[in-house]
Amino acid sequence: MAQAHGTPPPRADPGQPCVFKLVLLGSGSVGKSSLALRYVKDDFRSILPTVGCAFFTKVVEVGASSLKLEIWDTAGQEKFHSVCHLYFRGANAALLVYDVTKKESFHKAQQWLRDLEKEFRPGEVVVMLVGNKIDLSEEREVTFEEGKEFAESNRLLFMETSAKLNHQVSEAFSAVARELSQRGGGEGQAPGRDAAVVLNEGPTRRARCCAH
Amino acid sequence: LMLSKHFLVCFLVSRKKMSLKSERRGIHVDQSELLCKKGCGYYGNPAWQGFCSKCWREEYHKARQKQIQEDWELAERLQREEEEAFASSQSNQGAQSLTFSKFEEKKTNEKTRKVTTVKKFFSASSRAGSKKEIHEAKAPSPSINRQTSIETDRVSKEFIEFLKTFHKTGQEIYKQTKLFLEAMHYKRELSIEEQSECTQDFYQNVAERMQARGKVPPERVEKIMDQIEKYIMTRLYKYVFCPETTDDEKKDLAIQKRIRALHWVTPQMLCVPVNEEIPEVSDMVVKAITDIIEMDSKRVPRDKLACITKCSKHIFNAIKITKNEPASADDFLPTLIYIVLKGNPPRLQSNIQYITRFCNPSRLMTGEDGYYFTNLCCAVAFIEKLDAQSLNLSQEDFDRYMSGQTSPRKQESESWSPDACLGVKQMYKNLDLLSQLNERQERIMNEAKKLEKDLIDWTDGIAKEVQDIVEKYPLEIKPPNQPLAAIDSENVENDKLPPPLQPQVYAG
Repeated sequence: MAQAHGTPPPRADPGQPCVFKLVLLGSGSVGKSSLALRYVKDDFRSILPTVGCAFFTKVVEVGASSLKLEIWDTAGQEKFHSVCHLYFRGANAALLVYDVTKKESFHKAQQWLRDLEKEFRPGEVVVMLVGNKIDLSEEREVTFEEGKEFAESNRLLFMETSAKLNHQVSEAFSAVARELSQRGGGEGQAPGRDAAVVLNEGPTRRARCCAH
Repeated sequence: LMLSKHFLVCFLVSRKKMSLKSERRGIHVDQSELLCKKGCGYYGNPAWQGFCSKCWREEYHKARQKQIQEDWELAERLQREEEEAFASSQSNQGAQSLTFSKFEEKKTNEKTRKVTTVKKFFSASSRAGSKKEIHEAKAPSPSINRQTSIETDRVSKEFIEFLKTFHKTGQEIYKQTKLFLEAMHYKRELSIEEQSECTQDFYQNVAERMQARGKVPPERVEKIMDQIEKYIMTRLYKYVFCPETTDDEKKDLAIQKRIRALHWVTPQMLCVPVNEEIPEVSDMVVKAITDIIEMDSKRVPRDKLACITKCSKHIFNAIKITKNEPASADDFLPTLIYIVLKGNPPRLQSNIQYITRFCNPSRLMTGEDGYYFTNLCCAVAFIEKLDAQSLNLSQEDFDRYMSGQTSPRKQESESWSPDACLGVKQMYKNLDLLSQLNERQERIMNEAKKLEKDLIDWTDGIAKEVQDIVEKYPLEIKPPNQPLAAIDSENVENDKLPPPLQPQVYAG
């Protein structure tokens, strides 16, 4: 199946790309799958799923080293919310996706964050808030500032994207990958503070200049 | 007599069948042997002893007929022997010698004989069975050289062959695995969680040792780990799958009962993006159900995981054909839930528990197999919690369906007849609508009538109340008890007034 590909198998061994599990969380139809698909599609090394797009892997280069992202898409419908914590097990990163044209989905993302906080110690997972569908700027209900403010107050990475226009998609995933590789060295060494630093220096600034 | 013969035949046939099966298991088919053995040009199948389906049926039928014939003969012979034995015992007692002329006598004794024959057979077989059981119970001794089943045998042979390719490291691994299995034998009394922990520790230690000491490249390590898992879990399976010390079995029954109670759930209720009217799709659905049911028959956790993955791929295919685009997780999970509901896989909870406890953990947390397994866990958790809201039903409807009072299928116009043309379906829909409208109209009429009545009652009521009050407090007009004070009446106060002036005459 997924193991039958050219790239080395996913094992966290020295000399091999470390495997990181990233879960995509968010309400139904906010574009979780589209984001992942867009991200994975452009890369020839990644394994494009032949039938479904719910599970993806992608090798990411971060500086000199490379790491392997395993992207787990989750069912976002409200009725499945109560069982979705099962997806969290063993996750290293989470993308909280909301639709900038739907306020409700933004509130939902906040709920997901609370769920994550229940399962993990602070700083145990890299969490990024992603406002998707910024191509629909006319219908925007959540402003960039709102998203940013929420992200900063919870020490999350933040970015606004458009899966449709392929805007900032790979940047979002790369930011997470970079954060993961940084934390990988010193696990448990106040990673929460690191997140805040990255949040202020890296992706947010870049995101701001790209936002309208 | 006929009955007893029939019994015998059935018994013999089933025994023959069993032996056939075990023989079949050992057959290996080479590339050259793929075609039907009879040379009809079609492909053969190892399950059909290398024949194609048609030739196999013919051959099997022939063999079976022959078998039945032989069994009949055997049964008859046994019957005869039995009769003779009975007769001789009778004659030994000095009663009489049995000849075929004494047919009447034979008939009267028939009943007892029949019973003894049957009894004899069953007691013999049961004795054999119990012996086998004892043997099996003894077999799992710490010395892992003694094998009990063909599969275990095959797996160990494969394991040893596999390890041979790794020379020294292979020997080392074999030693460790053996030691582990022996240790596990003495841990059988421990709780399943402790046994699981030991196994997980073992996985980790072996993998680490291989990398550190054996300098085995990681992808090799993974392959070896798979083989180790296969080897040890084939052996441990019967002690650690659904052990009596846990309530796994109870949970199995609970979820099974729950799924059975939810038999009425339709794909529409779950918003499953699969249209089973497309033949290809329904084919995929059937395959997915078969895969998930097959999971129970595997012994190795990884093989069980492979069944789930296979099932998931079929689900993705079904969605892709229906929607014409690759499925996302939003589509996948509801469909998996639907498949689980439809398939009601045996010992679902035990299987999940077993995989969680004894699978190499790296397979569960990450990787595609892990992803699908997690989805299955979600599906089971969802089914356990499932309520009216999650199916977009009212509580009353949900309760009625759960109690079996009504079934939603009966109410749906689609189920009038699956082959009905669109027009007829539309007509039924319209009829449905009309009857609904009718009902509403009646309700409105009733309400209106009630309102009218209420109004009348209200006016009547008010009138009556007024009447009552009027009766209670009648209006009496009394004559004024004190007429306006007359100017010329007697007035006491007048006394205080000085006496009226009297006219006085002045002289003058």
